[in-house]
Amino acid sequence: MDRTQVNTAMPYLAPPSAAPSHGMVLGRLSAYWRALGVSDPDQIAALSEQALRRGMPDRPESPDPLTGALAAARDLLDDWLARTLDLPRQPQALAAARAALLGGAVPDWPAVLFAPPDAARDVSGALRAAVAEPAPAPAPGTMPAQRIELFSLLDPLRHWRRSVSSPSEKTPS
Amino acid sequence: MTSSVRPSAKGYVLRRSVFFLLTNLTTLIALGLLVSVFQSNGFSPMELLLLLLYTILIGWICMSFWTALMGFFTILFGRDRWAISRQPAAPLDPAVPPPRTAVLMPIYNEDSERVFAGLRAIHRSLAETSRLADFDFFILSDTRDPDVWVEEELRWQDMVRALDGKGRIFYRNRPENTDRKSGNLEDFCTRWGGWYRYMIVLDADSIMKGSTLTDMVRLMECHPKVALIQTPPVPVNRESLFARILQFAGSIYGRMFTAGLNYWQLGESNYWGHNAIIRVRPFLEHCGLPKLPGREPFGGAILSHDFVEAALLRRAGWEVWLAYDLEGSYEEIPPTLIDYAKRDRRWCQGNLQHLRLALAHGFNALSRLHFSMGVMSYLASPLWLLFLLATGVEAFIQTRQETIYFFGENWIPVWPVSFAVEMTTVLLVTLTMLFLPKLLALLLLLKDSRLRHGYGGMFAATLSVVLETVFSVLTAPVLMLFQTKFVLAILLRRAVGWPTQQRGDHMTSFKEAALAHGGHTLTGVVAGVLSYQYVPAFFWWFTPVLLGLLLSIPVSMLSSSIALGRKSRELGLFLTPEETDLPPVLRYLDENLRESEPVLPVLWDKPASRFVQALTDPYVNALHLSLLPESEPPGKRRRHYLEGLIHQLEEEGPDSLSAAQKRELISDSDTLLRLHALFWSRPPANAGMLP
Repeated sequence: MDRTQVNTAMPYLAPPSAAPSHGMVLGRLSAYWRALGVSDPDQIAALSEQALRRGMPDRPESPDPLTGALAAARDLLDDWLARTLDLPRQPQALAAARAALLGGAVPDWPAVLFAPPDAARDVSGALRAAVAEPAPAPAPGTMPAQRIELFSLLDPLRHWRRSVSSPSEKTPS
Repeated sequence: MTSSVRPSAKGYVLRRSVFFLLTNLTTLIALGLLVSVFQSNGFSPMELLLLLLYTILIGWICMSFWTALMGFFTILFGRDRWAISRQPAAPLDPAVPPPRTAVLMPIYNEDSERVFAGLRAIHRSLAETSRLADFDFFILSDTRDPDVWVEEELRWQDMVRALDGKGRIFYRNRPENTDRKSGNLEDFCTRWGGWYRYMIVLDADSIMKGSTLTDMVRLMECHPKVALIQTPPVPVNRESLFARILQFAGSIYGRMFTAGLNYWQLGESNYWGHNAIIRVRPFLEHCGLPKLPGREPFGGAILSHDFVEAALLRRAGWEVWLAYDLEGSYEEIPPTLIDYAKRDRRWCQGNLQHLRLALAHGFNALSRLHFSMGVMSYLASPLWLLFLLATGVEAFIQTRQETIYFFGENWIPVWPVSFAVEMTTVLLVTLTMLFLPKLLALLLLLKDSRLRHGYGGMFAATLSVVLETVFSVLTAPVLMLFQTKFVLAILLRRAVGWPTQQRGDHMTSFKEAALAHGGHTLTGVVAGVLSYQYVPAFFWWFTPVLLGLLLSIPVSMLSSSIALGRKSRELGLFLTPEETDLPPVLRYLDENLRESEPVLPVLWDKPASRFVQALTDPYVNALHLSLLPESEPPGKRRRHYLEGLIHQLEEEGPDSLSAAQKRELISDSDTLLRLHALFWSRPPANAGMLP
C-alpha cells in the first residue's frame, strides 16, 4: 500500500453540485488504486474499468456513480481476497483480509492479482497469517450476580414478627 | 531460617487478638488522658462530641500505627513464616501442562502509547523467563473517545506484528461500557474465561516483572485454596516533585505497612483492583456483582468493585492473600496534588458505598473491617475537620469563662487546675502514633545496606523523611478539605463522574491552582483571623493547618514542577531503590517510550485526527472495520440518525461532531464503508484541510 497516496482522500468537502464526468470518476478511481498500492498505470486502468463495470448506482451505500465505483473497486479487491482465502462474504472477515493485504503481508500484491490463480494460492498462507485475530474463540462462562442482603433497621422487627407468628402462618420450606 | 508452616486457625486468632488488643488498649489510654482533662467539671455536650470524634480518629491512627509496628518487626526479624510465599506447597505434577494465564489490561481513554509501551515491557520481561507461551495478553478497552479508540487498534496491531503475537495478544473494545471496570472484566470472564485458570489484572499504568508474574502463577498452583493474591504495587516513574515525594513515601513506608497488613490479615486480605492474580473459576462463580438497591450515590452499580470481590471470595470460603514480599510490581501515581485529589474524588464514592456493605449479611468480620477501613479513609477527613472546629469552639468557650479564685468567705484563693501536662501528653501520643512509623522505616534501612543505598544513603534518606513529613503536614489540610467536599457532595447525592485520569507529568498553572485552591486559601485566611481574634491561644496550635491552607496555591504549583523533581533527584532526595537501580522492566518501558520505532508505517506520523484517518485511510479503515463486533443492521430510525450525522460531517466537518457522535459513525460497518467511499469520491481541492 502506498501511504504517500493516502492523503489525496479529501475529507469533509461539500458534495459536488453536478454529476461527475467520466474523466473525474476515472481520476478518483486511479487515486484510490494508487493509495491501495497499485502503481502500474495499465493495472490501474484495467482495475478501474472493471470497477466502473461493477459500479451500481442503486446500491445502498453509494448514492452517486462515483461512490458506487469506489465501492465497487473495494468489492473487486474483496472478491479476490474471498476467493484466495476462501472467506465468507462477511464485512468483518473481508475487512480483516483487506487490512492484512494493505498492511504489507503480500509485497507487490497487484502483480499477484493479475497473475494466474496459482500465484494467488502461493500467497494465501502469508495473507492468512497476517489476518488480525482480535480475540480467541469463545469459551463462555456464566457469572451470576451474587445475592448481597443489606442490613436494614427493620431487620430486628422482621425477626421478631417471624418468631411470634403462629406455625400455621409460616411458609412451608 | 524460620521453618515454613501453614497458619492454623489458632494462629489467625492469636495474631488478630494481639493486634486488636494493642489497638484498643492504645485507643483507651489516649482516650483516658483526654477524659481526665474534661471530667473535672463534668462533661459539656461539646466535650462529649470531642471525645466521640477523638475516639474514632485515634482508633483509626492506632490501627495504622500497630500495623506499621508489626510490619517493622516482621521485616526486622526476617520474613513472616506464614507469608503465602513461605508456606509449604502442594507438590506439582510435572506431567501436567502449565496452566493458561490471561494478563488483562482494562483501559478507558488512556494514553495508548504509554499503555502499549508498558505492555510490551511486561511482555519482554516475561519472554526472558521462557514462560511466555503460558500467558495471553488482553487489552480490554472501554475507551469511548473515537481518536483514542482508533489509536489503540493501531498500537495493538503494531504490538502483534512486532512481537509475533498473533493468537496471544488480543484486543477488544466494548460497544457499551456497562458497569465500568467490573463490567469490563466480567465481559472477559464470560466470553473467554473458560480458556484460563488464572487472570492477572493490571491497571493502565501497571508494570510487572515477568518473573513476578510467573511467581504469582506458581504460588496459585501451590495453594489450591487461594483465589486471589494481591501484590503491593510500588509507585514509580514520575518526575514531578509531588509525585517523587509520594513515590518515596509509598516505597519506604509502604513495605512496612504491607508487611504489617499481611501479619494480621493473613488469608483474609483484600484486593486493590490491579497487580493481582485471580483464579478464574471461583471469580466466575462468586464475583458477579449485583446492583445495590436505591439510586446513586449509594445504590446502583458497585463502583469500587475490588473490595467487594475479595469479600465475596472470602464469603465463599476462598483465601485472599497479600504477597507483601513479592517484588517487581509497579504502578504510577498522579503527578500533581490536583490530579491526586481528582483520583480521590473517583474513589470516594465507591468507598462510601461500602458503608452499606459493611453491615450486609453473610460477610466475614475481616471483610467488614476492610469495608469500614475503605470508608474511614475518606470519612476521616470530615471527622478531622469537625474535630478541629469543635476544638476551636471549645477553646473559645473556655476563654469566655471567668476564673473565680475566691469562693464564699474563704480568703485563701483556689487556683484553677492546669491540665497542660495531660493535654500535652494527648498531643504527644497522637503525634507519636502519626510520626513514629516514619522513624521506624528509617531504622529498617540500618539493617539492609542494599536498601540504604537504594534510598541514597542514611543521611539523604533521613533528610528526605524530614522533608516529606513537612510536605505531608502542609498538604494534609488541603486534602482534608478536598475529601470533605467530596464526601459532602456524595452525601448530598451529587454523584461524581468518572473522569479519565491525567497520568502523565505536567505542571499546574496558576489559574488551575487558584481555581482548585482559592477556597482553601480563603478558608485559611478566615480561620486564621477568627482564631487569632477570638482564641489567640488556639491560633498558635492551629498554625500548621493554617499554613497548609494559606500556602496551598504555591505548594500545589511548585510541587507539580518537573524541574524541581529532577533537581531533588540530583541532590539525592526522595530517591527510591527503583530510581537508584532501574529494574530491567522499567528500563524496557523507558526504551519503548523513547526509542521504539513502530512497525506499522501508519504510526510513524501523528495525524490531527485518528477518527478522520479511520474514514479516509484504506488500511486504518479496513483494520477498524475488521475489529467491529458483528451486529444487527440498524433500524430505520437509527439509519436516519446516522444519515444526519453523515450530512453534518460532510457539510460542517468533523469538529462539528461530538466525540459520542463520531463514535457512532465509526461503530457502524455500513456507515464506515460508505464514508470511506464518499471521501475518496471528493476531489482533493483543499489540501490544507487534510488530516
